[in-house]
Amino acid sequence: MVTLTIDGKQVQASKAATILDAAMGAGITIPVLCHAKKLLPYGACRVCLVEVEQMKGRLIPACTTPVTEGMVVTTMSPEIKKVRKTVLEFLLVNHVVDCPVCDKGGECDLQDLTYEYEVTTNRFKDAKFNLETDERNPFIERNMNRCVLCGKCVRVCDEIVSYGSYSFINRGFDTKVATAYDRGLDCEFCGQCVSMCPVGALLPRPFKFKARPWQLKEVDTVCGYCGNGCTVTLGVLDNKVETIRFNDKIGVNDGNLCVRGRFGYSYINAEERLKRPLVRKNGRLEPATWSEAMEAVAAGFEKARAEKGLGILSGGRLTNEEYFYLGHLADKVLKTPHLDHSGGECYKGLSQGLAETLGIKASTGTFPQVEGCDAILAIRSDFYETHPVFGMVVNQAVKRHDAKLAIISDKKGKFTKLPGAKTLLTKPGTEVAILNAMAQVLLTEGLAVTEGVTGVEGLRAALADYAPQAVAAKTGVPAEAIEAAARAFAKGKNKAILMAYGLPYSAQSRELGVAAANLAILAGVFDGEKGGLYLCGEKANSQGAIDQWILPRPNGMGAQAMLQAAAEGNLSALYVIGEDPLLSYPDRAKVAAALDKIPFLVVQDLFMTDTAREADVILPAVSFAEKNGTFTNAERRVQRLRPGVKSPGEARSDLSIFALLAARMKDPLVFTGPEAVFAEIAQTVPEYAGLSFNAIGPEGVVWGGEHLATKTRNLVAVKGGEPLAARFQMVTGSALFHSGTLSVRSKGPMSALPEPYAEFCLEDAAELGLAEAQTVCLKGNGEELRLKVKVGKRMPRGVIFVPYHFGSAGVNRVYRGETSVTVEVSK
Amino acid sequence: MSNAEAQVVQEEIDLGPANKVIDKYLNMKGALMPVLQEVQDAYGYLPEPCIHLISERLNVYLSQIYGVLTFYAQFHLEPRGKYIVRVCMGTACHVKGAGRIGDTLSELLGIGHAETTEDLKFTVEHVACIGACGMAPVIMVNEATYGSMSVQKMGEIVAKYRAMD
Repeated sequence: MVTLTIDGKQVQASKAATILDAAMGAGITIPVLCHAKKLLPYGACRVCLVEVEQMKGRLIPACTTPVTEGMVVTTMSPEIKKVRKTVLEFLLVNHVVDCPVCDKGGECDLQDLTYEYEVTTNRFKDAKFNLETDERNPFIERNMNRCVLCGKCVRVCDEIVSYGSYSFINRGFDTKVATAYDRGLDCEFCGQCVSMCPVGALLPRPFKFKARPWQLKEVDTVCGYCGNGCTVTLGVLDNKVETIRFNDKIGVNDGNLCVRGRFGYSYINAEERLKRPLVRKNGRLEPATWSEAMEAVAAGFEKARAEKGLGILSGGRLTNEEYFYLGHLADKVLKTPHLDHSGGECYKGLSQGLAETLGIKASTGTFPQVEGCDAILAIRSDFYETHPVFGMVVNQAVKRHDAKLAIISDKKGKFTKLPGAKTLLTKPGTEVAILNAMAQVLLTEGLAVTEGVTGVEGLRAALADYAPQAVAAKTGVPAEAIEAAARAFAKGKNKAILMAYGLPYSAQSRELGVAAANLAILAGVFDGEKGGLYLCGEKANSQGAIDQWILPRPNGMGAQAMLQAAAEGNLSALYVIGEDPLLSYPDRAKVAAALDKIPFLVVQDLFMTDTAREADVILPAVSFAEKNGTFTNAERRVQRLRPGVKSPGEARSDLSIFALLAARMKDPLVFTGPEAVFAEIAQTVPEYAGLSFNAIGPEGVVWGGEHLATKTRNLVAVKGGEPLAARFQMVTGSALFHSGTLSVRSKGPMSALPEPYAEFCLEDAAELGLAEAQTVCLKGNGEELRLKVKVGKRMPRGVIFVPYHFGSAGVNRVYRGETSVTVEVSK
Repeated sequence: MSNAEAQVVQEEIDLGPANKVIDKYLNMKGALMPVLQEVQDAYGYLPEPCIHLISERLNVYLSQIYGVLTFYAQFHLEPRGKYIVRVCMGTACHVKGAGRIGDTLSELLGIGHAETTEDLKFTVEHVACIGACGMAPVIMVNEATYGSMSVQKMGEIVAKYRAMD
């Protein structure tokens, strides 16, 4: 620690701190334009100039100058004021000062400083900027006439997002921030640059002329898309979510968001939202009162229970309280063991694998710990597609702290381009073999941690077939690359293994879980101060669904088994909540057969989904932005949701619908709201013991603590899948712009990616004579898909990627839950 | 590499020479400037497909390379003439009538400063002092220097290079 004096006040700061850090820590304000706490110091704007007694004769930028012992700093004097005012005059020389029509007005750093320093006139004169505004994308407007060249957008896009859209171009007075070749912005549209911009140069287009910032009611809640659990601040005007504002003060995401979280909110206000219950009468869905609808539901479920039983399929975006209540309904009121949730099929295998090896059911570390890891292994998913903001944490680990990153995947992604990243590009379905080979390297080279580990000899024997050379032949990954990756991973002090799971990733999930756990144990992943094994569920509350055990009860059926039973006439009713199996589940024909055959179908959703169209009763539910409750993210962080808007029409929260159903079915237990249910969770669910709804602070509460201890360290031998010999195979998964099938209801994600595509590598496209945007036909599993071609550098030869979000295009007619599908390609 | 990776329609060009330059500097720190310079030497300018290739192989953002390209006057993004005619506009040359030399050249070739003839034979550049004030007014054609220029001499030099390949 260093002691210095700022404005006569004794201040303690760490040795690495800057004057600005020290001042902020002591509650002393120094104005800044180009500084942001999550970016590296830069010193571009010179607004933060201060006087330092030891450095007399010039003013010192507070944001880039490190503190030294005994430093005496003055942050305000007539001289400082004069110089800061001059700096502002310089910034305003070419700036267009079009504040009346600028959306930033009222929260603009330049406007505020100009006001504070009373810059009423300007001694310098020059022509105003007259640059064309970039409105060529639907998300971000770039008006460089308002730019102050602070470089925050350039830096955030590099340091955090690692996309590198922007750079300073030209020189001297002509310098401006631009994209390559000064073209229209075409990027991930995460909007990080928008949230960093201190002026109105970068603005969210969907929010233009919607509201003045001071008119907005701000509500802090948790994003409803993926398992990252980012804090979002809803900007609400007249009961409408007009924008999502970034918030770097609370939560786990440091104000970082992805395109879905920031621009995917329009579905909340969508006209097509279901507003009234609907009941099928004489073959038609007719509007009904809640009382009529619940009567029909209760009668239908009673009948089903007396006959062949009732199955419940839930989505991954209900709150913990709703899941808990649903579990209670299934166990005590509807008395059915057939309960499952989105991703349950994938989780089932994974959890089984983890139960055998580690005795855990969730991530063992937290996201921020990964930034401090020196070796990171990402399996199967490029996290930019499933959990983009977690991906940004990995970026920082690699770019700022030189973490060694390896990726085992059947396609390249953004991680591939990080400095020093090693991508082990496997044939689809052979990831397990690579993990086994890495474990084998650790065991044979004496790099493995085996103390307190059971099953070592059994695994050693079983891995004899997994020597890197043998695995290289099968997977296409060179033996040296596998060996190098294993050694580099073992060498790290703090390590993390990242795995995403969800609907499109169910194949081989048990094997992958076990193989990853084996490697984690042998590499000593759980012995580090930071990191661990990360299991990242696809949806906002996938973890909550597991914690509240929305999974089959003893003798109960899982999702696939329920659909099978329904199709065979062995199930009498299905209760589908926040899920659209027809669109998102593998094997559409099987789902369709089940829905066709099921005597009674209740769908509870926000929209008239394909599945809802088949329903006997439709119950209108509400979005995350209208809910009070908690979500648990993929690092076990329990966070509060707060309602920002009222629900449209008569739509009700899932919790309140469950309460209606329970009352109708004469359940003696009455919950008065999420708080009461959460109290019950804290009583019953061991991981949530002692938690209190109102005590969940801005950072949430991580159940099990920063490090979740493993119960066992048991190695289990598993076999990997065999690669397909086909010339072409199709794989499916998440695409960055979408999350499940919910995001296809939002204008933002849909304007970026309105339809599915078939992604080919350059060589295959050339061989087949396929050009970008041309239509191609994929034939597999006896079905045909017609899709737009996308050509890129991500895919290996012979592998075609098709995102799974667009069930309407029939991706799940071909995809039936396998790792990859043999397809024939024709024009 | 995201799903939104821009697909830029690119002109057909042989990337062989560029690849050769990059091979030489691969895995070397601070390689961008020499790579850009040598690729420009090979092509006479920096074609966009080469820049994409450099970005891909050196793993430097395209935007960052573009920043470098537009910062330095030495890099050219458009094809340039086979013969680069530099007319010195330094003080000594100016006094000795460089303006008229420049005007004559423009009249003869039909192009002005920083322009290239359609047949890609000549590019004209008005430059600051080239350090040969004793020979003012002076011009350079590629590496050859011609001093004590006159309107007539300008015509002869243009004719000479026109006749060459």
